[in-house]
Amino acid sequence: MSELQKSGIFAPKVIEEIQAKAESGLYSIRGFGTLRERRWPTFDDLTFLPCSLTRIPLEGYREKCSTKTVLGTRFARKPIQLDIPVMITGMSWGALSYNAKVALAKGAAAAGSSNTTGDGGMLPAERENSRTLIYEVLPSRYGINIHHMRMADAIELTIGQGAKPGTGGLLLGSKVSDRIAEQRDLPTGVDQRSPARHPDFLGPDDMIIKVEELREATDWQVPIFIKLGATRVYDDVKLAAKAGADVIVVDGMEGGTGASPAIFQEHTGLPTLAAVSEARSALEDIGVYGEVQLIIAGGIRDGADAAKAIALGADACYIGTAALIALNCNKPIYEDDYHAIGAAPHACHHCHTGRCPVGITTQDPDLMKRLDVEQGAERVRNLLQVMTAEIQMLARACGKSDVHHLEPEDMAALTLEASAICGIPLVGTRKVFRH
Amino acid sequence: MAEIDAAGRSTREINSAIRRLIAESSKEITVRNPGARHNLAVAILEDVHVRLAGSVGYYCGGLIDGASIDIEGSAGWGVAESMLSGTVRVHGSVGSGAAAAIRGGTVVVHGDAAARLGVSMKGGTVLVAGNCGYMAGFMAQKGRLIVCGNAGEAFADSMYATICYVGGKIANLGIDAVVAPMDSSEAQQLEKTLSCYLPPSLRRAKPAAADFKKVVAGRKLWNFDKRDWRIWQEAL
Amino acid sequence: MCGIVGYLNKVGTEQRTIGSILLAMLNALACRGPDSAGVALFGEHPPHQFVAQVKLGDNGDGRERAGEIRTIVEKFGAREFTQTGAYLRFVFPETDDLTTFIARVEAAGKDVEVVSVGRRLEIVKQVGSPAHLEETFRISGFHGQHGIGHTRLSTESVVDLSHSQPFWSHGFPDLAIVHNGHITNYHQRRRRYEQRGVRFYTENDSEIVAVFLAEKLRQGADLSTALESAIAELDGSFSCLVATEQALGFVKDSFSLKPLVFAETDGFVAVATEEIAIRSAIPGDFAVAEAQAGEMRVWRR
Repeated sequence: MSELQKSGIFAPKVIEEIQAKAESGLYSIRGFGTLRERRWPTFDDLTFLPCSLTRIPLEGYREKCSTKTVLGTRFARKPIQLDIPVMITGMSWGALSYNAKVALAKGAAAAGSSNTTGDGGMLPAERENSRTLIYEVLPSRYGINIHHMRMADAIELTIGQGAKPGTGGLLLGSKVSDRIAEQRDLPTGVDQRSPARHPDFLGPDDMIIKVEELREATDWQVPIFIKLGATRVYDDVKLAAKAGADVIVVDGMEGGTGASPAIFQEHTGLPTLAAVSEARSALEDIGVYGEVQLIIAGGIRDGADAAKAIALGADACYIGTAALIALNCNKPIYEDDYHAIGAAPHACHHCHTGRCPVGITTQDPDLMKRLDVEQGAERVRNLLQVMTAEIQMLARACGKSDVHHLEPEDMAALTLEASAICGIPLVGTRKVFRH
Repeated sequence: MAEIDAAGRSTREINSAIRRLIAESSKEITVRNPGARHNLAVAILEDVHVRLAGSVGYYCGGLIDGASIDIEGSAGWGVAESMLSGTVRVHGSVGSGAAAAIRGGTVVVHGDAAARLGVSMKGGTVLVAGNCGYMAGFMAQKGRLIVCGNAGEAFADSMYATICYVGGKIANLGIDAVVAPMDSSEAQQLEKTLSCYLPPSLRRAKPAAADFKKVVAGRKLWNFDKRDWRIWQEAL
Repeated sequence: MCGIVGYLNKVGTEQRTIGSILLAMLNALACRGPDSAGVALFGEHPPHQFVAQVKLGDNGDGRERAGEIRTIVEKFGAREFTQTGAYLRFVFPETDDLTTFIARVEAAGKDVEVVSVGRRLEIVKQVGSPAHLEETFRISGFHGQHGIGHTRLSTESVVDLSHSQPFWSHGFPDLAIVHNGHITNYHQRRRRYEQRGVRFYTENDSEIVAVFLAEKLRQGADLSTALESAIAELDGSFSCLVATEQALGFVKDSFSLKPLVFAETDGFVAVATEEIAIRSAIPGDFAVAEAQAGEMRVWRR
């Protein structure tokens, strides 16, 4: 006998959610990022066209493929120089444990890459252990400190984040420990909500003045990044460029979060694939493509995603979720503890609870002990190196001696939508489906 | 005392001149003709006194740690933003977001403040002799916010542990803001602050400390309503 | 997002031209509005006469187009033609039927636009800086008692002359606005206006402020009431200046999202996005203060 028919619209999960809302009068808050089944175009809808007869591929290993990446050449006296085009994005100490932050810093440094602070300010251990450290200035301004700013290698002025654009951050009370509360100037145990807007500028015109302030405060030495959650990417990127950004970061809807209302994670923002395309068009249309660098973020999982983003126009990619997964997020260990919080390995998005079984998104010292800093750092370094090798392999196969030479013309679109979005021919047609 | 004439010069040149004077051990610096330029005297980390003989634009005294700044005219948006310590005094009025995100130090305004006074403040003291506008103290976390005159709409909305005092009328209170009783020792502390930071003629024109209303967070927004662990795990 | 400026001379005698004052104010705000610049100036003219500024088109030097339009408007009694930049300026006898006049002129080409008409109002605006505006139009030579100006940082619409500000309330003589911010119920309101036959010339949300105020004034409201209605009915961020034949006014949204400062003495009123604009243009020992959330003021000559 066949299975009983379930509604596609009022699916079991939806029924549960509606009933939970009816019972509690509260909306759902959780971590991780969008969980919806993927039904929109992503990097998976593109494929590379390596060399065949028309072009000559480079040999693996022996024929060098450069991965050196320079960011911030537009105005800064000291652009940042990275060995690889994959970097660690800003995630707060608070959302993450101390051990996680230190492991990320060390792992990135070992791979010749950069680390970013987050919504809580700079940890001394982060500066000590990072090779290149980017200091995030967020709407909340938690832990904002001119001395830390001056210790950083770049300043990232964050307007929004891909997982939850247009809103502020959230750290639930169980994670606002004494140490975190002190760092953030908050009472211990509150459910911290941070503002959606910066407190001292509202709009791109006022932001121009804010960018100047950050430059004055750091003597025009370091690059200023402007980070945007992907919404009206085409307009926003132009404005960020006009406001004087050295580097623009665009973070797509597949990006992660430690805690935010589910409704934002599922129903806001542009997919990262679309965001890259719009960002590149914007920079080209105002004639600064190549002068202003572009970092893409939001669900980058491997070297293929990164290589495609680079081919479409990015100078580098941030990873967040992937780096945490390297630290054992969702790994099948301590399985009872996953079950205790209502999750399971490979199905855990419970960062908001502060009961992370593997010690990443928790402030509980006993749980944090499960994340060994040195081992964690090694795993992050490994991931970054493997991703870089994957990018190089694809680049060499496409005949490139530098990963930054990848171009849109090195790819084809597997779907009509991806063709339209990226301006790349649809496989088998040699035609771009774009009006 | 060292003087800089800001007339015809860029913000960058003026700040460079200030820093050069500080490096040469000047402790008292006067900037003439600031002309309401933006970003003057930002990120000064030394114990020096900078006097701006005129009006300033946005973010004057922003990101300072230990300096003392006197603005003789008015100030634009974000005066003293993110200050760690020090004193910023404005003789005229201030624009929106005055003392935004300060973590310590004192901001004194002889005139009025526009919207969002002390927004996101994380410590320190903000003292306005005149009135303040819309949404003063929004999401303020720590420290004290004192308004001798009248407070505008949505006063002290969504606050954490900042304590506010208002000498005049409050147009209306923000979300989760409540008037709380003030005991005599607290009134004495408030009086000390007022007398210490306001020039005598200005102090005299303002109410007695005991007549100020104290406003704090009602704490209803501090934690989502948790019932039991099963609901909490999804924090619905 | 942008820089806006306004100035009104209270005393009548002129030490400096209104044009030069507004130019100095705009120069100080060029950084926050690098895309375009424009002014709406109110001069003195003989009675019973309109002055018109017409955009000849988006391409080329427009000489041929100027000739066509000249032929059309001479039928309305137009004379004293001058062509500057992309504009044709002329005067013509006052008429109650501006609608027909505008339609005839704009029929000359898709990109022809009557940029302003008024007994005293003249709008000139274009892509580029305030310095470029001065180079093209010599606005520093313009005499008058009040005016408003704008430097533009375009957000969601294109950078071209028509999308620049100030905006004339098309069809309503002597009414101009400048807007800093973004009206977030623009599309919805625009569709309603269009259903009633109102024509929009651009995709710029600021244009709706001009349309909105004109509609209110047509319905009999005075300027103050119209500005109060704007606070209630327009959503999003706005600091706006409005100028009519006799008045200069401002309005700020109820969340005070965009800056606006002003100074008033016995001699003048000056309003601007930033104090630096006022200080750069007007020497003297006077106070400048920021307007409050949901505040509206009107000054009359």
